[in-house]
Amino acid sequence: MNNLTTKQKILEASIRLFNWNDVANVRLQQIADETGISVGNLAYHFKNKEAIVSAVYENLFEEFSQILSTYLTSPKLTDFDVQMEQYHRFFSKYKFYLIDLFEIERSYPVIMERWRECIGKMLLQIRKRLDYYVNRGILQPEPAPGVYDTLTNSIWTTIVFWVPQQVLKDKPVDETVFKQTAWAHISPYFTPKGLSEFALEVQPFILS
Amino acid sequence: MKRAFSMPPELYAKMLDELSNLFFTEKLGLDSDMNFYRNDFWLTDTAVIDMLLLRKGAWEINLLFAHHKTPLKFLSRRITSHSCPKRARIMAFYMRRLAAKDQRGTLSLDINDLNLTLN
Repeated sequence: MNNLTTKQKILEASIRLFNWNDVANVRLQQIADETGISVGNLAYHFKNKEAIVSAVYENLFEEFSQILSTYLTSPKLTDFDVQMEQYHRFFSKYKFYLIDLFEIERSYPVIMERWRECIGKMLLQIRKRLDYYVNRGILQPEPAPGVYDTLTNSIWTTIVFWVPQQVLKDKPVDETVFKQTAWAHISPYFTPKGLSEFALEVQPFILS
Repeated sequence: MKRAFSMPPELYAKMLDELSNLFFTEKLGLDSDMNFYRNDFWLTDTAVIDMLLLRKGAWEINLLFAHHKTPLKFLSRRITSHSCPKRARIMAFYMRRLAAKDQRGTLSLDINDLNLTLN
């Protein structure tokens, strides 16, 4: 933490405050207090709150792109497990994304547009991953047209909204439960080969 | 906020398809795939051309072996290097004579065999 630059410290403090309150309710004074600097110093680094919000989202999109870039780095099922782990870390860090979804849409249309683009890519990746698993013979061919589109949406909903619903229920945001919930959508469609690969390579990994 | 690079969803989907295909199309090579490199008997029937290239401050002697019937079948090999250009030139001359099948250099290439199109 001590090695962070003042700019990074401000952004970290802003993320913490956005998670506790929400973007609209956080004032510059609070950010300055949380960072441990004066408002004047804060204004030196970011001219207004809009600049801070933009910088926070810039970081957020950068991290999200990093996760997207890990798509299919290995042909194994563990590849998706690793990506899920990253999604969990991401959505736990940026809990405010859901609280502020509608506020962002109204006040920051550019951010909302980029957010939609990222979500679109994420959905496409999940759908293509299912196709890939079918080609590899570890997932059954689509039982009826559209089934895997629905499955994609279910997996996506779990990945994106699992953390906020746990917070809402005042339950721990446990990574193991998160991954088990996401895999639970796919596992009924595994072929025997897929089941054995899952049992051998993914399950021990989840539990560890 | 700066505008990020973006691509149409259809193109992104196509890209992901290609990425998935890599795991089916990209296979480990066989040992026999490198035979063309090991079985270099054809080098005996080649015209040899010496080349001097200045690389990292030294004159590198390269010999270019081109088949006298099908000149597009050629291979370039680095032999040695010298810091003195004169010595490198002499060395290249003798290297070429040593490597060529006919030491007088009668085995030559015909430019027409290359079927060059100048468009």
